[in-house]
Amino acid sequence: MTRIPRAVVDEMVAHAREGLPNEVCGMVHAKDGAATEVFRVTNTAASPYRYEMHPLEMMRLESRRDETGETLFAIYHSHVASQAKPSPTDVRNAFFPPGEVSQPPMFPGTFYILVSLAEEPPVVRAWRVHSAADVDAAIAALEEEPIEVV
Amino acid sequence: MSVTVSVTSVIQSAVNGQRQFTAEGGTVAELIEHVDHDYPGFAARIMDERGELLRFVNIYLNDEDVRYLKGKETPLSDGDVVSFLPALAGGA
Repeated sequence: MTRIPRAVVDEMVAHAREGLPNEVCGMVHAKDGAATEVFRVTNTAASPYRYEMHPLEMMRLESRRDETGETLFAIYHSHVASQAKPSPTDVRNAFFPPGEVSQPPMFPGTFYILVSLAEEPPVVRAWRVHSAADVDAAIAALEEEPIEVV
Repeated sequence: MSVTVSVTSVIQSAVNGQRQFTAEGGTVAELIEHVDHDYPGFAARIMDERGELLRFVNIYLNDEDVRYLKGKETPLSDGDVVSFLPALAGGA
């Protein structure tokens, strides 16, 4: 069970709604392990079906974490018409190079949060991605972390 | 030309975990060659066996994606910042 402040959840959902019809993406920072703040990142794909985080914006957030001691709590994105679970594409892209699922995930220890607008109210779920022998096994190994909104 | 090289996350492991360092190169290609000389394996992290930049690695010259400049042949000037950034993507 992970605790996430109501303001953080609300901001991710607001971002997802404002981004329609496209998917949105961003990062959630943490202080002392507790989620604190949402940072919207431009989806350069500008698509209802996929996202690509703006590389320079990601780098600036990484620099900010170095300076402040914050950590990367979660990477989030929205699904506009599908469930709040990482898709096979999401799983492949959680590794570097994409699909190299036998390697550690690109951001180990970071939650992948999905905001689904497929139903009302929107559904927000958090997942951990694990290494596996192949992509199918990595999809099967997705582990949901229950969220307690505080 | 002396430029600042900036790398993040998974690419850092190819340069001894550094976030930023200085390197030489008149073009992006020359810069990659020099960095790979100092940190063997760096080029393999960002290019395929034919020497083409991997599509899931972004290279920025200051604030511009080199794909929209001259790619690997993009010329560099003293003081430029060249960033090697893995793509983070996905989709429904």
